[in-house]
Amino acid sequence: MQLIRRTVAVTVTAATAAGALLLSACGGDSGGQTAADEKQTLTVWGMGEEGKHLQELGEEFGKKYPNIDVKVTPVGWDVVHQKLVSAVAAGELPDMAQMGSTMVGEFTSLDALEPVDTKTFRKADFFPAAWAGNVTDGTAYGVPWYVDTRVLYYRTDLAAEAGVGKAPANWREQRALAAAYKDKAGTEWGTYHQPSGIGAWQTWLPFLYSAGGKLLDKDGEPALDSPESVRALSEYAHYYDKGLSTKSSPPGYDVVKDFASGKAPMFVSGPWMVNNIQDQHPGLKGKWKAAPLPADKTSTSFVGGSSLVTFADSGHKAAAKKFTEYLTSPAEQADWYGMARSLPAVEAAWDEPELTRAEGLDVFEKQLRTSEPVPALSKWEEFAAKIDEAVARVAQKGEDPAKTAAWLQKATESLVD
Amino acid sequence: MAATSATTATAKATAGTAAGPRRRRGRLGVQNAAGWLFSTPFLVLFATFMAFPILATLAMSFTDFGLRDVTDPFSAEFIGFENYTKLSEDEKFLKALFNTGYFVVVGVPLTVGAGLFAAVLLNSGVARMRTFFRVGFYAPVVTSIVAVAVVWRFVLDPGEGLIAGIAAEAGLTAPDFLGSEALAMPSLIVMAVWRNLGTAMVLFLAGLQAIPADVREAARIDGAGAWQEFRRITVPLLRPTMLYVSVMTSIAFLNVFEEPFVMTNGGPDDSTLTVSLDMYREGFNFFHMGYASAMAYVLFTVILAVTLLQLRLLKDKTR
Repeated sequence: MQLIRRTVAVTVTAATAAGALLLSACGGDSGGQTAADEKQTLTVWGMGEEGKHLQELGEEFGKKYPNIDVKVTPVGWDVVHQKLVSAVAAGELPDMAQMGSTMVGEFTSLDALEPVDTKTFRKADFFPAAWAGNVTDGTAYGVPWYVDTRVLYYRTDLAAEAGVGKAPANWREQRALAAAYKDKAGTEWGTYHQPSGIGAWQTWLPFLYSAGGKLLDKDGEPALDSPESVRALSEYAHYYDKGLSTKSSPPGYDVVKDFASGKAPMFVSGPWMVNNIQDQHPGLKGKWKAAPLPADKTSTSFVGGSSLVTFADSGHKAAAKKFTEYLTSPAEQADWYGMARSLPAVEAAWDEPELTRAEGLDVFEKQLRTSEPVPALSKWEEFAAKIDEAVARVAQKGEDPAKTAAWLQKATESLVD
Repeated sequence: MAATSATTATAKATAGTAAGPRRRRGRLGVQNAAGWLFSTPFLVLFATFMAFPILATLAMSFTDFGLRDVTDPFSAEFIGFENYTKLSEDEKFLKALFNTGYFVVVGVPLTVGAGLFAAVLLNSGVARMRTFFRVGFYAPVVTSIVAVAVVWRFVLDPGEGLIAGIAAEAGLTAPDFLGSEALAMPSLIVMAVWRNLGTAMVLFLAGLQAIPADVREAARIDGAGAWQEFRRITVPLLRPTMLYVSVMTSIAFLNVFEEPFVMTNGGPDDSTLTVSLDMYREGFNFFHMGYASAMAYVLFTVILAVTLLQLRLLKDKTR
């Protein structure tokens, strides 16, 4: 069976590609628009765990608008990109979807998204960085729904053991803390920075931004061989050169486990980690903190998150707008935080009691104000993969940062429009 | 047996000639029509799900089919052999090709050897609890790769893994198997051999049981020892099975995808990136469908060449 299954696997690429050809021949009827007050079903794709919570919100929404029946299909984060592209090809898209903020640019370039009605959804209501990630050529194609930004998580108990009483404020102190963890508190590594693999760019990007670097220059060309980029790569490499971070990166690695055991007493990640640590290791309570990213020129993090998009082919655009409005109202945004611990993209929602009462959120709110998104690029997936490779080059292979920066610049030049 | 059927065939042919060529053609025509009729369902399915995609992929490999063309397939541009020339200069792909070769050259002989060894052992009177061991060796074949990955990660984990634990008991430090460029691929090979030797074993067992007992008996009466019996009787008579097992294992290993996909994701530093994994990424992460199709055809050509080579090497000796 094993043998047969594998033999079949070769043809999978072939078959799917051909399937895309076939499917695109049919489907894709846009039809007329259904008015918001007519009886209808609104189909929505939600991602991962959020998809399940989104169904609950859909039911709440149904009480207010009984004529609109919201039907949510949860799609796994790992397959969402592939599924969406296949759906575009097949003309089988839902009316609306939650979409990773880095993917909006790609689907905009496929002409799959409906431009946002900026009279209803006003730029000023959202965190600027979250809004900016949805904009291509001055037009917004997604409404920010929730945001996440990367901050520094560190073990306070082990830091005390190593003689450090406060969060590192800059790169120098971050280095010193990592070394102290290892030398004085006897931890295996001083920190965890993702050394390679899909998504390693997310750990590195805050280094680039904090050094004052950018992914693209003013003309929209890659700016990855800049002195700031070299500096960010060198800083990243430091942790591997000194044995302060593991070079091993197995798929499915869970940093929380090593954080709890003390093996990796410090790491950079998003707000969902607060929940993960609390749920998986309740015993760690009071032994760790989240802090703003240590600064170089600035303390600038990367902002990701999800946007709500309406597809251009949908026949229920009015209803989709109503649902988007509902989901981005400050009250619902606060509710959503209560449900999924995702941070509101609407600034006003941070004044809701749900959020003002929550502990430890100020660090994220503060970091969000100085965060920057990734530019909306149609080939972002590839662009990100090149950064992942550059990270692996300096982290795992010990390649020269300047040489790697030059390579990265060349590798990404053909990936901007 | 052979002689009898040959005689019958001649007799039939003679009868056909006697009845005249016209009638024979008519009967065969009906037979042909019936044959076509019965094969139609298969042929339709084959044409739709195998032949068409295969040809479409070939066509696609000469285009720049990408993400934008998904909505409008005929906007893809014909670029001749450009994808293939690009592949020949693509360092990543060449590395993947090398890694795949490494996997096959080391993994296939190990799988075939271990499978044969297990089969001979479990077929002889020496082994006790034969059924138990047969099931044991075969179990990995039917187990889901995800479950297998969980177990192997536990075995190989440098921190809390089984091997690390044993090494620590002995006062040694276990290496980071999946995190080291030199050890990641060998680790995956060991895992793949473990997963596939069950299939080889079952085929060899069938082959062993087809060897007539009287041949073995005759050898023993002539004074052959166990080793001589194995070398002079078992190995030659198992050759057709050996050919089948090595061809099938080679094809499977040339397509290796699951092990690196779930265990290392091609890393560290692409040291376990295989052609199938590279193809998957190009095709589905980046939607470089034209490029991925060209990769599929390069892989297909390699598989064809390796198979023909094996057929020639192993078949000639059986004559």
